[in-house]
Amino acid sequence: MNSTRLVRCVTFVSVKRYFRLVNNKRFSNLLSVWISCLINLRQLVLLISNFYLDYFITELFPFVMNSFRLLKLHPIKTQFREYALKSDLKIKWVRPEKIPCFKPEKSGDLETFPEIDKKLYQEDFKNCKELKTANELVKKLFTLEFAPRNETVRHYINRTSDKVRRHVNDYGSHEATIAAWTGVIRAMQESMERLPRNKIMKVQLKELIDRRKKFLKYLRRWDYKRFEWLLETLNLKYVPMPLDVHWITRKDSLTKLTDKYCDDIRKDKLEKLKLQLQSEQPAFLEEKIRILEFIRNEQKSCNVEVTVHQDEIDNVKRRLDDLKEKVKQLNQEEI
Amino acid sequence: MALRAASKVSILLGQCVPCIKQNASKFKIKRLELDTNLNMYFPAVEYIYAFDPEKKCKTGDVVLIEQLPEQMTRLITHKVKEVIYPFGDITDPLTGKKCVAGKYREDIEVINKVYGELDTRFKYDEAPPRGWQEDKKDFSHVETYMKYHESGEDQPYAY
Repeated sequence: MNSTRLVRCVTFVSVKRYFRLVNNKRFSNLLSVWISCLINLRQLVLLISNFYLDYFITELFPFVMNSFRLLKLHPIKTQFREYALKSDLKIKWVRPEKIPCFKPEKSGDLETFPEIDKKLYQEDFKNCKELKTANELVKKLFTLEFAPRNETVRHYINRTSDKVRRHVNDYGSHEATIAAWTGVIRAMQESMERLPRNKIMKVQLKELIDRRKKFLKYLRRWDYKRFEWLLETLNLKYVPMPLDVHWITRKDSLTKLTDKYCDDIRKDKLEKLKLQLQSEQPAFLEEKIRILEFIRNEQKSCNVEVTVHQDEIDNVKRRLDDLKEKVKQLNQEEI
Repeated sequence: MALRAASKVSILLGQCVPCIKQNASKFKIKRLELDTNLNMYFPAVEYIYAFDPEKKCKTGDVVLIEQLPEQMTRLITHKVKEVIYPFGDITDPLTGKKCVAGKYREDIEVINKVYGELDTRFKYDEAPPRGWQEDKKDFSHVETYMKYHESGEDQPYAY
């Protein structure tokens, strides 16, 4: 193989190409043959310098960059993704179902419109003297059964108000007003179940619920005891609005749940540590008594000033007895 | 601004707000802060924790709080000195009589008697002290929150 001819005829680029080709095969043997064959020193220098440059560009440089990438030491890219980070914790979030504002769960009513006895007289005729001596058929005609629904509702409103009246003619006191509204609200809520597309009633109902809540807020400020009594009598729940109201989002909820999860873990660990320390307490106290007694005896026998008093030892003993008794009681309770 | 101004004063008047801490109560302190650009005062609210081991302050009470000589914890800097105005239990400062909004309690009872009082009326003598409906029907003593998760358990503090 005439190597000098070969080197002379190939251009700079073709040399590089050739080396790239032979580099994959057994290259070192070939190189040694070539070097021995070379005559021109200048050509040799050129060849070697070309080879090293080419080797650096094609082989070494990508290798270095690759190793950087593998070690995650790339100087430009950041190490972690800072967006859309997904937690590994298995927390399942369930979006709470939206409850319409007029529903009893949201309005704070703990009871709904009850079944009313239809054999009662209408509100306008309940004190009528004529009815007492009237015919059975006439009596029946004046019952709630034969009156429109609003008569039944009126009856219910009055009965609700009666629960809190101050005196016979009390229709305007704060509690009587709230009670009357409660009656109206419960009747409307019952209607809304049957007529869910009645938008006018829906608005009226919402406004009334809000007004009742406002009045309850005032009553709470003026007279707390009366407020609590009214809640109990009318069977209402008062939950004030939270300070920061925001619509529920997945991200926010998951953050809160993760916080709660972490808190629970911390609490569990503390509880375990507490139990462990409590179980070690009797052994520790026994050891303490032993050591204190030993020190006291030693001090006595050596005629040195006694620093450990008997009271101290007795105190520890008492504590130990108390502990043992407690454990006994707990065991008995468990059985 | 507000924070520095409040911490300078040794005695403060604040309103108790719901707090879950066991030995301390949280207080809302409202002060007027001067805006030098407008030369006007604007209300600025600050929250302070005060040591209250017996939890004698209920939500809404107006309480006098005193600065501790040494900060107890990272949050607790004050201690409760005196409950000035219990919430929802108004006393007329001139006559010393109890009142409800704009009327004396005595007057209300006299009016009831004129009309013929009913047994359904609210009786102050038989009423238990404030707080007997806490966690039952009245949830104003705790911080409520918007319900964000359906855990299957009952969440009484969720709005």
